[in-house]
Amino acid sequence: MEVLLSIKNVSKYFGGLAANKDLSFDIEKGEIIGLIGPNGSGKTTLINVITGNYAADQGSIRFKGHEIVGLKPYTINRLGIARTYQVVQPFVGMSVRENVVAGVLFGRDGKGRKMKAAWEKADEVLELCHMQEKKNEMVENLTIADVKRLEIAKAMATDPDLLLLDEGMAGLNPKEIDDALELITQINKMGITLLVVEHVMKAVMSISQRVVVLHQGLLMAIGTPETIVRDEQVIKAYLGEKYTLRQKNQGEAKRL
Amino acid sequence: MIEKRKNILLFGILILALVFFPFLATNYWIRLFTGIFMYGTLAQATNILMGFSGLVPFGNVVFFGIGAYFTGITMLSLGFPFFIALILGGSVCFVFAFVVGHPVLKLKGHYFAIATMGISEAIKQIATNVKITRGGMGLNLPLVPLEVNASYLFFYFLMFSAMILVTIATFWISKNRVGYALRAIMSNEDGAKSIGINTPHYKVLAWAISAFFTGLAGGIFAYWYGYIDPPSVFDIGISVRFIIMILLGGAGTIIGPLLGAFFIELLSETVWSQFLFIHLGVLGAIIVLVVIFMPKGFVWFYRQKFSLEALMENVRKGKL
Amino acid sequence: MLILQVLINGILIGGLYGCVAVGFSLVWGVSNIINLSHGIFIMLGAYITFWLFTLFHIDPFLSIPISAAILFLVGYLVQKFLLNYVVGYTQQSGFGVFLSLILTFGLARVLENLMVGIWSGDWRSVTTTYSGLSLHLAGVSIPYIRIAVFGVALFSAGLLSIFLYRSRAGMAIRAITFNTVGAQIVGIELDRIYNITFALGAALAGIAGSLVSLIYSFSPFLSTPYLSWAFVIVVMGGLGSIYGAIAGGILLGIIESVASVYVGPGYQQAIGFIILVLLLVFRPQGLFGKKFLK
Repeated sequence: MEVLLSIKNVSKYFGGLAANKDLSFDIEKGEIIGLIGPNGSGKTTLINVITGNYAADQGSIRFKGHEIVGLKPYTINRLGIARTYQVVQPFVGMSVRENVVAGVLFGRDGKGRKMKAAWEKADEVLELCHMQEKKNEMVENLTIADVKRLEIAKAMATDPDLLLLDEGMAGLNPKEIDDALELITQINKMGITLLVVEHVMKAVMSISQRVVVLHQGLLMAIGTPETIVRDEQVIKAYLGEKYTLRQKNQGEAKRL
Repeated sequence: MIEKRKNILLFGILILALVFFPFLATNYWIRLFTGIFMYGTLAQATNILMGFSGLVPFGNVVFFGIGAYFTGITMLSLGFPFFIALILGGSVCFVFAFVVGHPVLKLKGHYFAIATMGISEAIKQIATNVKITRGGMGLNLPLVPLEVNASYLFFYFLMFSAMILVTIATFWISKNRVGYALRAIMSNEDGAKSIGINTPHYKVLAWAISAFFTGLAGGIFAYWYGYIDPPSVFDIGISVRFIIMILLGGAGTIIGPLLGAFFIELLSETVWSQFLFIHLGVLGAIIVLVVIFMPKGFVWFYRQKFSLEALMENVRKGKL
Repeated sequence: MLILQVLINGILIGGLYGCVAVGFSLVWGVSNIINLSHGIFIMLGAYITFWLFTLFHIDPFLSIPISAAILFLVGYLVQKFLLNYVVGYTQQSGFGVFLSLILTFGLARVLENLMVGIWSGDWRSVTTTYSGLSLHLAGVSIPYIRIAVFGVALFSAGLLSIFLYRSRAGMAIRAITFNTVGAQIVGIELDRIYNITFALGAALAGIAGSLVSLIYSFSPFLSTPYLSWAFVIVVMGGLGSIYGAIAGGILLGIIESVASVYVGPGYQQAIGFIILVLLLVFRPQGLFGKKFLK
């Protein structure tokens, strides 16, 4: 499989704290890879480092063979990496359609685009994300699920090869989660590679081909969802040592 | 769509009225309106930066001064014809803003505002001390080669054209990518960066464009008045005045700053004949009232169609 | 030795600069209000001393407490009846922060005109019998007045510091800079604290003004240099920091003293402003590290 994004020995420090420590893994073209870990394990930091919002202190990140550490976020976006934000902040004062047009105008092929072509492309993206009916709504009037969908639409408008989703399911009800999963699958079918950061276990496990687990800034495990779920270290990290010990003891007691 | 056509018709009638007006009015009124157009130009120019990106350049008057001095000096010492000197003055301002903008526009909120004030005051002091500007004694520009009534008309139409020009520029910006970039930046700078907007570039471009038009107004002012000195053309009070006009009329709208300019200038002129401090007191009172009742300015207020509930909501929010 | 003279001049006047900046820094750091009337308040203090001296022959140094008290009252009233309406906006709406700038700018113009009305625009100064006396030491001449001004300036800053750290009102002021909501939960009334803070800032301006009258000539139109010094020093010394204001003041005093000898006296303010802009761009947290209040 072709490697799209290669992360090697990436570290990011805030003062004395290592938010990301010596992380290394590859993202393969066309896959959906999940990124999980307890709060504070460094998931969002890693996304910010990849997109250039933070500069990596150590290590290298190669996208399609090019080194991207040190580049500005807007340059990285134009190379083909888009992301959504955990705390969604759409462009207020503009309609849904205008928000997407902004992405079209400045994303990958944005430079040469005329306004008319931009409007048309925006409509295409809105179709894909099932938001055409809401296209003239002002973003202040949207529901949380719609705002999150808009985040994805904006990112898609920039024509990415790699899409990083940062906890897009938080605050959604089960039906909305299913809709979101469907959209993600659809996007993936178009050939776009996805990195999905999630806390909603069921969602991320059902959709990812591989899962990366972070814990306290370190890469704890990487593998298919099935192996991760059974990995003892992962269970300990998520559920705590006492629980695992209790499970073990209970298991032993049962065997007696 | 009928709304749009109605608006364009209204606008066209207004323009026509203003074109014929000076032929029917006395010189007093022509001069008054020339001044109004000047502030209209200044307000609209700064609206390009402020209205779309939310940054408040308190020191933007520095470009007024640079434009004024550059026009004056090149005409006086180099014998340049007025229009060449004027365009040159505006261009110098554009370049200056472009160069200084890259470091200074990294600043947020009131740090940017203060930095621009600092730049303006520094340039003012330099202008007072440097020989080429004739320092504190001021600069006398060459006389306008027109007889009195003709020169009144000349400056009236010149300022009017400047105001129309900058308004067209603002309109064009609001509809195309620069406008989108700025609005996105104002709303969510990180989000803007993430969709490929080169945020420093657009902020600097907006400032440079506003600088150009501000410099243009300064150059026209210099030729109009015939005499300039540092305290009068680098006066932060001018900036404050046109910023208030922008806020009053509605930042980010196209006609807002112009409405604000008309309102404040006409009000000032009528109140001027009264006491000096009442004049400033009234201005101050207007600001407070605007802030409480029309926090986004005339145009937004009008768009809400004067709903009483909206008014009460604003008051309640304000009294928090 | 010229260099020693220049340095001592700079340090002594720097104390005054520090006093000029402290009140400004306090109000900005605590209430997030950039008081463009600060320079005018200083002038007011100068005129109060001038009047007391010329009309009642009160020694300028003795007039300092009176000047402080009057300005305290003025500041209290301004905050209570004008600025408190706007403070809510400084935290909220997009352009709210600039309202305090515009309002205080307007207030400054109004006060300026009032002062011209009362005292005329002529330049004034306060000259006492001891104004010309200097200490001569190691080849440098140090006017006694400047030493006294330096002392009073530092003393006032010290008093403020004690107030902020040892009194209940002072603690309340420090509490709200960290967390306005948290402070309110423990019963601190924001409005009252804003009133006291602004009043204190004005009082310090009054003290600075009285001191200014002893050294410089002044007029109602001369408020801008003091305001600009306050700006530069606050950025140099860090927002809300008293030690930063004094240290920044002294540093600025030295820089200006050196500059006026080697570059030319007219450029003092320009240099100050250029330093301001450079600092904002390259080191916004000030020369002295992190801002300790907010």
